Amino acid sequence: MANEFQVPLRGENLYRSFGEGDAKVVALDHVSLDIRAGKVTLLMGPSGSGKTTLLAVLSGLLRPESGRVICLGEDLWELDDKARERFRLRHCGYIFQGYNLFSALTARQQLEIVLRWGEGLSASDARRRADEVLDLLDLSHRANARPAELSGGEKQRVAIGRALVKNPELLFADEPTSALDWAQGEQVVALLQYAARKRGATVLIVAHEERIKKFADEVHHLQDGKLLEEPDYPAIVGHIHANSSSTKLVTP
Amino acid sequence: MSYTLTTLWHDRQRYLPGVLAISFSALLMALQTGLLLGLFSITSLPVDYAADNLVWIGAPEVVSVDLGQSIRESTINRLAAQPEVIRCEPYFQGFAYWAQRTGKRELCMVVGSRLGEDTLGPAGKLLTAEDRRKLLQPGAIIIPEGDMERLGVAYKRDEQGRIVEPRELVNATAEVNGIAVRVVAVKPGIKSLAGPYIFCSLTTARALLRLFPDQVTYVVGQCASAADTEKVVKRLRAQYGVKDKQHSQVNIDCAPNGDVAVFSGAEFSWQTRMHWLTKTKGGYALGYAALLGLIIGAVVTSQTLYAATAASLKEFAVLRALGIPRWRMQFLVLGQAFWMGAVGLLLALPVAWGLKSVAEMSQVPINLEWWILLLSGSLTLFMAMAAGLLALRSLRNVEPATLLR
Repeated sequence: MANEFQVPLRGENLYRSFGEGDAKVVALDHVSLDIRAGKVTLLMGPSGSGKTTLLAVLSGLLRPESGRVICLGEDLWELDDKARERFRLRHCGYIFQGYNLFSALTARQQLEIVLRWGEGLSASDARRRADEVLDLLDLSHRANARPAELSGGEKQRVAIGRALVKNPELLFADEPTSALDWAQGEQVVALLQYAARKRGATVLIVAHEERIKKFADEVHHLQDGKLLEEPDYPAIVGHIHANSSSTKLVTP
Repeated sequence: MSYTLTTLWHDRQRYLPGVLAISFSALLMALQTGLLLGLFSITSLPVDYAADNLVWIGAPEVVSVDLGQSIRESTINRLAAQPEVIRCEPYFQGFAYWAQRTGKRELCMVVGSRLGEDTLGPAGKLLTAEDRRKLLQPGAIIIPEGDMERLGVAYKRDEQGRIVEPRELVNATAEVNGIAVRVVAVKPGIKSLAGPYIFCSLTTARALLRLFPDQVTYVVGQCASAADTEKVVKRLRAQYGVKDKQHSQVNIDCAPNGDVAVFSGAEFSWQTRMHWLTKTKGGYALGYAALLGLIIGAVVTSQTLYAATAASLKEFAVLRALGIPRWRMQFLVLGQAFWMGAVGLLLALPVAWGLKSVAEMSQVPINLEWWILLLSGSLTLFMAMAAGLLALRSLRNVEPATLLR
């Protein structure tokens, strides 16, 4: 069995349903899978296949009815709510389909608030780290812009910055490109790939867009709550800057 | 700037109704209380402007200085017998009817003090030596300038309607309880509630109030100090006081066969104001209005905060997903409530002063003392924080799983 450093995230026999009686829908039907460290893993499948539910269960946001999630050596759903909250704070970053940025805060403040409220950093330390991440995302010149002044792609990059600023070991993204055109979507996925390659983060992405596959190290297909056979290992074609020494990831 | 202030400023239009509701609430409370105290301090004016360190003796169960009944003038001997009492004299006060020559009748309040320079009655502080000299003539009275119109008295005017200088009164004669009186002067700045104050000599007052020669409304005695006053009040109460069923907090430890009520000046002033406050429905009405203001303020503020928080639920949910504890968000909402309260109070202050000035221009006294501002400010801030606590219920809906579609 692979150790926790190679398999930081493991789902075992996960079962989850919604509704009752005739309306009952089984979203996860005894799914088991390993997510490997430092890789981009893609969960794909048609609408209603259970891929988002699987991400929610694996990331500690939705309790499974049965089965276990072993995350960095911890049985995630055996922890109490407070401990799981602390676990998420220490180890997890999330990117959602909507940008969900505070309209009143600047791009820099969206990142700072996570550090100040989460890690209790001082204003100056939080600012320094937020600026580092904004620089990495090529958003330094937009640091003082509020969401209303940012394009869709910029907003999603800020949302990624908010997830990355804590340096999480695990990064979960739910349809991160669905609201973006392909050029912007490609930048976003490249950033997630960078987090896996350069920072060694374990990245799990739920997506339905086939074009994303070229950025993935491993692709799991779901259908009707079940994993389909063996995962794909797509040839990594054109992954941007993966082996480059540049830290700037977004090409203009 | 903190996130609290940043969000408040950025979404100021959203928060404005709450801030205005808080302002309104604080204003209503301060002005109502000020108005209430201002109004009822009018009733205790003769006590408040009498000499210092006075002992008052009145009819048994007197509830308010303006509702005094007659007592025997010889009661003054009881005061005179006290070694601490330096001087004593009678004092008259009572309601009467003012009849203009046109036949129009008006309720008025006759106040009769001794007119010497060392008088113990309100004539000492409210009237000048010249005023008191004028009042020595029989039937001579002085009325508040603000009540001239009500009593049918006017300044002489020229053909263009301008007041002729030096000022001269016209229609200065009338009848009080059927006795002819003449207004010899008017005093600015004195307000009246139920009926205009009519200042006069002891002799005129006795005639106007239709009292027998051996009757007065009060006898007052002056002591050298507040401690002496207290001592004398206690002693006289024990000897002659009647247990006051309505105001038992004042006349306790009374004589078994007492026939008078005994007060210090401060006690009598307080009792007079409290009587008006508790016995008139006006006091309750003003109190309810202030309470209503507080409730309206709380509801609007709470709803404003609730709506603002509900609009950011998804953003809060992301922070929850990232492991930020819920109390951070609760503190943000409470901080917003606090600052809304603080800004609301800041806005209310100049408006309160403005309204006070306007009210005073129309002769309505508003006592905006520091403790009223502090009290209404604290209550409003407390209300804003309570509204914030109520609004926290919206954060219960913050659930990171809802972000996943």
